[in-house]
Amino acid sequence: MDAFIVFFTRYLPAFADGFLITTWVAALAAPAAMLWALVLIVPRLARWTWATGLVSAYVEIMRNSPLLVQMYLLYFGLPLVGIFWSSIACGVIAIALQHGAFLSEILRSGIQSLSQRQWEAGSAIGMRRSAVIRLVILPQAFIKVLPALGNQLIVLVKDTSLVSAIGVMDLTLTGKMTIERSGASFEAFIAVAAFYLVLTSALGLVLRVIEARAARRYG
Amino acid sequence: MNQAAALPPQSDEIVAIRGLRKSYGKLEVLKGIDISVRRGEVVVVLGPSGSGKSTMLRCVNFLETFEHGTITVDGRPVGYKTVNGTRKQVSETENASLREHVGMVFQSYNLFPHRTVLQNVMMGPVKVKGIATATARDIAMRLLGKVGMDHKADAYPGRLSGGQQQRVAIARALAMEPSVMLFDEVTSALDPELVGEVLKVMRELAEEGMTMIVVTHEMGFARGVADRVVFMDGGVVVEEGPPGDIMAAPKTDRFRGFLSRHLSEEG
Amino acid sequence: MFPVLQSNLPYLLQGAVYTVILSVIVVSCGTVLGVGVGVLAAVGGNILRSLITAYIFIFRGVPVLVVMFLGFYSFPAVGLRLDAYTAVAVSMIVYVGAFVAEATRGAIAAVAAGQTEAAKSLGMRKGMIMREIVLPQAMRLLIAPVLNIALMAIKQTSYASIVGAWELSFAAREVVERTLAAFQIFLGVMIIYFVICYPLSLAARALEKRLAFDH
Repeated sequence: MDAFIVFFTRYLPAFADGFLITTWVAALAAPAAMLWALVLIVPRLARWTWATGLVSAYVEIMRNSPLLVQMYLLYFGLPLVGIFWSSIACGVIAIALQHGAFLSEILRSGIQSLSQRQWEAGSAIGMRRSAVIRLVILPQAFIKVLPALGNQLIVLVKDTSLVSAIGVMDLTLTGKMTIERSGASFEAFIAVAAFYLVLTSALGLVLRVIEARAARRYG
Repeated sequence: MNQAAALPPQSDEIVAIRGLRKSYGKLEVLKGIDISVRRGEVVVVLGPSGSGKSTMLRCVNFLETFEHGTITVDGRPVGYKTVNGTRKQVSETENASLREHVGMVFQSYNLFPHRTVLQNVMMGPVKVKGIATATARDIAMRLLGKVGMDHKADAYPGRLSGGQQQRVAIARALAMEPSVMLFDEVTSALDPELVGEVLKVMRELAEEGMTMIVVTHEMGFARGVADRVVFMDGGVVVEEGPPGDIMAAPKTDRFRGFLSRHLSEEG
Repeated sequence: MFPVLQSNLPYLLQGAVYTVILSVIVVSCGTVLGVGVGVLAAVGGNILRSLITAYIFIFRGVPVLVVMFLGFYSFPAVGLRLDAYTAVAVSMIVYVGAFVAEATRGAIAAVAAGQTEAAKSLGMRKGMIMREIVLPQAMRLLIAPVLNIALMAIKQTSYASIVGAWELSFAAREVVERTLAAFQIFLGVMIIYFVICYPLSLAARALEKRLAFDH
């Protein structure tokens, strides 16, 4: 027990820093992914058939290849074409590019599950298509798939651990460094796992509250 | 004290419910029920929704727990027994073996969708009673013939109408040769034109002397088939007696009101 | 075209073989573990169920990479000298198991409660009800989720490279650090992963649709 306490007091600042970095990466990547998802469903909503094929292909590629390789691609490849972004930037963008694809799929299924009548109701009162999308379809689709979006968000937070592979001192890399420095692998893992669990469960709770509120107000 | 041997097997009382009380949390749904069902009797339980009649029925084969009172089926205690003065819950094995003697038919039929009609009916005898497959098949086919579903023996439940499924469900329950059959609003989920075929099977069963407790809204069945009608409301038995007596001349306002409401529905 | 990729392709494909082997081991053992645990949670007592809930909660709330690190660093601590590959495999099996267990619990719960009541009323006991009625139906409901979990696992085998296990991603990084041909190699590797994953992806979606129709 004493070893535990000694370990934690010595390394807690480092873990706290790593935790902040992880949270920071997630806080940047999540909105970016959401924005990218909205961009990706534009072709489907605007019925640009030439682009929907491209988007589908893109989504398939994202769905069937690992995030790590995509991250390496950016990290090792961008400098070759003269773009020198930081590791964090590469990580955030890679995460946003992949998760945006998944989020757009979730949104797509939400939009498709809306009854045709919603579309008709909008145009029946004289709305233009873009207005129908903005005011009638998207809000409802969004609320419908809120649970799925929330789950995907939690996966995103866990995926931030990959930035440790390209040198970002996040919670995972901090954990690895701590193990190598102190040899206390068990305590280090407990610390890392605990921090992640706190993050994912807090996020889960917040999401469930939001879902419940949305269901009550609009359900 | 071994209560299973308390009543001799030729006893006339098949189901004895005494002082049954049950609550869901703070809400008391059964406030002291006493019902006695004799061998061969058909007891129809009427009442508005929320009266607790389904709950009471489900207590009889211990699909629902209850806090006070006793229930015995064929002399055997249901759910709880008194050991050295304390009330203890009966083991799962004892519950299961009791349920072999109590057949139940549900509002939503609950046939096993991954098995054929014949397999559904055979399941009890083969798996629970350990009867040889060939013998069980004969029993099953005979029962399916009795309910008029033998031509569909190899069909899957998903392909059948509600009325057909319910008749198979009755056959499945009968395959266990129960001492008493419980019917929990078995026609409430059926389209009106399918109700008749199920009621017909139930009427034949009654005429053959099966002991039945039937929770239903079918007034015609109550009047025509029941030996005794029990009217429940708000968790208590309000009136009971032969249908000819109490349904023609209800003694309480509650029952009278209930009857007039339902008679006007039957049009 | 793509000379660097072409010349290194044999090496990369070797890595791909390791990836596939790791995936097969992890998915098969993880599924067996997960289904077993899920069924135990359904039939077991309260203590067992709480333990299993904790197991599922922990391993689903922590990144797989962290679980791999745990395996890699703590197996030696308990006296097991495992190479990186095996350590990762064991860690991933436990990780995948948690996901499959959760999916199994969901599938078992989805088999309508009325079925269990009907089986009970015939005198069947818990074990028999699970074996004859619930599990056969739950298995059908599990196929699509398990395929999706398998897809996730295959992609996650790439993280094994971070811990030091040699497979496709490790090989890719080696080649790129030597040749600097990042685009060729990583894009090529993405295609290799795509070839491995896409059939599974299609199967998962096709089965989802077909089994949904049957019900």
